[in-house]
Amino acid sequence: MTMTPGLRKFVLTAHVTSSVGWLGAVVVYLALAVAALTIQDAQTVRGAWIAMELTGWFVIVPLALASLLIGLVQSLSTPWGLFRHYWVMMKFLLTVFATTVLLLHMPTVSYFAGVAAETDSANLSGLRGELLHAGGGLLVLLVNTTLSVYKPRGMTRYGWRKQHERRTVSQA
Amino acid sequence: MADPPPYPESNDDIGVGPDRGSTDVYPGTPRWVKVFGIIALALVLLFVIMLLTDPGRHGPGRHTRSSGPGGYTPPIEHGVQQP
Repeated sequence: MTMTPGLRKFVLTAHVTSSVGWLGAVVVYLALAVAALTIQDAQTVRGAWIAMELTGWFVIVPLALASLLIGLVQSLSTPWGLFRHYWVMMKFLLTVFATTVLLLHMPTVSYFAGVAAETDSANLSGLRGELLHAGGGLLVLLVNTTLSVYKPRGMTRYGWRKQHERRTVSQA
Repeated sequence: MADPPPYPESNDDIGVGPDRGSTDVYPGTPRWVKVFGIIALALVLLFVIMLLTDPGRHGPGRHTRSSGPGGYTPPIEHGVQQP
């Protein structure tokens, strides 16, 4: 499956937009957690949980899924492939890992946000876990961004074999 | 701003360097991939050790426990729960 240059640029733009948007949303999420932990005021902590849940479900999760799916389409429809180059494969694995952790973790955020919305109290200790999750997520996204920009050399054994086969066919 | 080509040998943004796989023998796994693998393995080991030493603190179980996430205790009215 191949794409025309125009379509390829469009898909690349969508992928960069969703990925960078995901990174920015995680920074906002982290800022909310840090602010609530620093101020330690009940209203701020409650507000932070509610805002973090909304940011998580309505911004971070859609952007993560969009980034993953668009990246998948892009890799499979260009010569890069999904498992031919180490940097593409690593990006894919890291994105799958980050998205899985995100989807597993969001119900916990919803739980704490629900408590904050329905009662006059909020859980402060849970915010430390948010720092860990959001901080780890941010690190993974920064690694992915770096891999995308630098595209370090290195083909997998599968990629090398495929390229070798293609070259042999073209020379025949 | 136009993206520079990803590899010096290519002139488009999907170009794959012509020297890749140009030899008959697989050149092997690059060093940066090995370093990445070692770091990933160390992080996984660290996570497993954390789980083994304090199983209730983190992990998927934290998200599915019937008593509430993270060993959640009943909220204190009009206040912030301290750890």
